[in-house]
Amino acid sequence: MTSHAEAVHGGHEHHGPPPAHKSSRVDARVLGMLLFIGSEIMLFGSFFTVYFFVRVVNPDAPSEWPPPPYEFPVFVAGINTAILVTSSFTMHWALQSIKRGQRSAFLAGMVITFVMGLAFLLTQVIEYLHVGFNTGDGAFASVFFGLTGLHGAHVAVGLTLLGMVIIRGFRGHFSPEHHHGVELPGIYWHFVDIMWIVVYSTVYLL
Amino acid sequence: MTTTQHEPEQVEAYPEHFEPPHGPTWRLIFGPGLVRGVWVAGLFFVLGMLLVAGLRFWWGWDPVWLWDVILPIAGMVTAPIGFLGGIGAFDYWLHYISGRPTRPEDHSGHGARTWKDYFRVNTDHKVIGIQYLVTTFTFFTIGGLMAMFFRAELAQPGLQFLDSQTFNGLVSAHATLMIFLFIIPAFAGIANFVVPLMLGAPDMAFPRLNALSYWLLPIAGVLFLASFLAPGGSFATGWTGYAPLAEGQPLGQTFFNMGVQWAGASSVMTALNFLVTIITMRAPGMTFWRMPLLVWANFTTSLLVVIATPFIAGSQFFVMFDRIMHTSFFTPEGGGYALGYQHIFWFYSHPAVYIMMLPGFGIVSEVISANARKPIFGYRLMALSLVGILFLGFSVWAHHMFVAGMADWLRVPMMITTLLIAIPTGIKVFSWIATLWRGRIHLTTPMLFALGFVTMFVIGGLSGIYLGSVPIDIAASDTYFIVAHIHYVLFGGSVFTIFAGVYFWFPKMTGRMYDERLGKLHFWLTFVSFNATFFPMHYIGLRGMPRRVFDYDEAFGDLNFVITIASFVLGASFVVFVYNVVQSWVRGPVADANPWRAHSLEWQVSSPPPIFNFDEIPQVVGGPYEYGVPGARHAVMRSGEAAREVQHA
Ligand code: HEM
Ligand SMILES: [Cu+2]
Repeated sequence: MTSHAEAVHGGHEHHGPPPAHKSSRVDARVLGMLLFIGSEIMLFGSFFTVYFFVRVVNPDAPSEWPPPPYEFPVFVAGINTAILVTSSFTMHWALQSIKRGQRSAFLAGMVITFVMGLAFLLTQVIEYLHVGFNTGDGAFASVFFGLTGLHGAHVAVGLTLLGMVIIRGFRGHFSPEHHHGVELPGIYWHFVDIMWIVVYSTVYLL
Repeated sequence: MTTTQHEPEQVEAYPEHFEPPHGPTWRLIFGPGLVRGVWVAGLFFVLGMLLVAGLRFWWGWDPVWLWDVILPIAGMVTAPIGFLGGIGAFDYWLHYISGRPTRPEDHSGHGARTWKDYFRVNTDHKVIGIQYLVTTFTFFTIGGLMAMFFRAELAQPGLQFLDSQTFNGLVSAHATLMIFLFIIPAFAGIANFVVPLMLGAPDMAFPRLNALSYWLLPIAGVLFLASFLAPGGSFATGWTGYAPLAEGQPLGQTFFNMGVQWAGASSVMTALNFLVTIITMRAPGMTFWRMPLLVWANFTTSLLVVIATPFIAGSQFFVMFDRIMHTSFFTPEGGGYALGYQHIFWFYSHPAVYIMMLPGFGIVSEVISANARKPIFGYRLMALSLVGILFLGFSVWAHHMFVAGMADWLRVPMMITTLLIAIPTGIKVFSWIATLWRGRIHLTTPMLFALGFVTMFVIGGLSGIYLGSVPIDIAASDTYFIVAHIHYVLFGGSVFTIFAGVYFWFPKMTGRMYDERLGKLHFWLTFVSFNATFFPMHYIGLRGMPRRVFDYDEAFGDLNFVITIASFVLGASFVVFVYNVVQSWVRGPVADANPWRAHSLEWQVSSPPPIFNFDEIPQVVGGPYEYGVPGARHAVMRSGEAAREVQHA
């Protein structure tokens, strides 16, 4: 099959593809990331839907949520929320710094963001250990672990992306002209933060 | 993520012709490829086991060694990841992550020189398209054999040679393979090959992601098949896997839960890739209103996939958590809401029936227009009706639940939206007929399948409208009438369009022509035996034979026997197809660049297309279907014209 292709195209030396025509002003990678986030929002959507079912639609739902004697650690999670939201700002600062060519500020921003994300995740693990109920303790627990766990997995993915930026950053990559590798993880990180605010308000506060 | 444009930042000195410093045996074992895939998968399986056991030990959970948890983690998560790493799907990203120099997107993985290159991670969309098609047809064969197996069981009332759990397992695996490993990815395969060419793009937007999406598929397929080896047999709750039924099932059900995740991830990645490619990589002059309908179809399908697929992922996660972590999303005892499963499942799976149909609409539009030598009738309306189906498709899911005990007030709204979908669908059917009207019709094999599709799909659509009406559905739900409906839309619909597409682009993909006489034989055998198999099901369904049963009333015995015989003929007709494809691929006559004298871009380059599709990106100047319109052109090929002259010389 390929020998045939060569017969037709013998003679031609291909050194690479012709550059694709850019038919949109949107950058392909940013667009890809945004669509991916759209899909992620739907994944969270399915978790919120099941939450809605067990708590609102279900005729046998307990009137108090979570049913006593269980309680959600609203305060600890609130502090965690503050940490994560702050990390969005440091992320933004890091991106702005590399755009302006300030390497050390960029690196500092990234490391601080990473450490805050890690602190969030560790706090959540500790929270799980001390929360006083387990996955088998009823629908409220299913929803609690489901949504916070799904979000925690996203934080872990975000941390991987941030870690990647940090490694590359310390190796001297990225510049005011080329910072896509920072921008995309940044977009993802902001998404993870905003999602947390939604998760926090629906799971813990409502 | 990466694109075909490269970031100069990453271009660091990399040896022009990089020769690995080791001998061939070393490379076989440690170089990217299937061998490394297998042993790394094994390694990761062990690591996964240790991880689970270690954590359970640390938390003091008893027993430490619990297969119900180890298998999902080690066998269905870490081992597949190890496999992907082993075959080299992550090599580039691992280099990137660790900050080592990466090659610029030089497409070094491009093209296939020998058949072995099809068994590697390859970033060429044309190679990936063929990988998809060969893989999906393999699973089609397996799924078809399963069907013949349980059809043989159904030839007579009573149990012949299967037991009930095996019967249910076969039915479930049959449907699951056909849907998740044949129809959905086969369309992705055709689109992978054709869409970048049609757009005038050198490749997809993210070639490496494209390769990864393909390799997730065999993982899903192997998981579904491996479930037969699990204690208690394969998953046996139908392709719908309803909870809470699925929650008390043996281990095989978990294979279904996780297999769906891999197949779903694969289709979301491909869909993202199509969307970005279609939005950002169209040739100059290729406005949205000049795109071939196949591209439109894949655009809308991809939107459906990106939005809806996460819901089936969610539904299967919940079931799995209920099964192994004892949560109670759907178990009433723990405060769960059982009906929630069906809502979440159908919120994906109704759109999924359009995921399984819209790409076929696109294929048929191409085939009918080129073979009737006429512009497609109502091009813009054809595109807009796709968009209409996209939106309406999200508002009808509960028509699958009319008898499930859901809220009464939901019934009538869902019935109305369901019937509304018939409007954009009808527009499409009438446009195809109008395109045929007074056309110069060439009854080639792809055209026969396209026409077969239109007729069969009308029958399936009509039974759909019956089922969409609440009173009829209450009588017909869960009977063989449903089986008839789904096979008219999925076999007579989707599968016929896949055959049409494979025949239509066969010369483009392989550079060789298939045998037209065998092709026609295949069509007529399939068409007749398909109807003989599935039409009687309408009747026995309305007479009251329930679906998904291994035993039934004596009164249905005769017709079931006829159906079983017809289904064997249907199976045999596929052999004609396989023989035709294999022998034509090996030694069929060399095909022209443009055997159908079609206008869209993929036909303006050689067959098979050059490695980077175009020497220079063409300039699009008009619509793609201007057959018989004097002086009309779709595109001006720049140096691509030269390739055509070589062909004719
Ligand atoms: C005018 C268009 C259509 C309408 C109004 C329609 C309506 C329906 C309804 C109401 C049901 C539920 C029946 C029941 O379970 O009681 C159903 C089932 C089904 N339909 Fe359609 N349908 C249409 C087209 C399609 C298409 C295009 C496909 C796929 C390509 C499709 C695939 C299916 C499948 C797979 C099922 C069975 C699901 C199961 O296993 O329970 N339908 N359809
Ligand atoms: Cu439906």
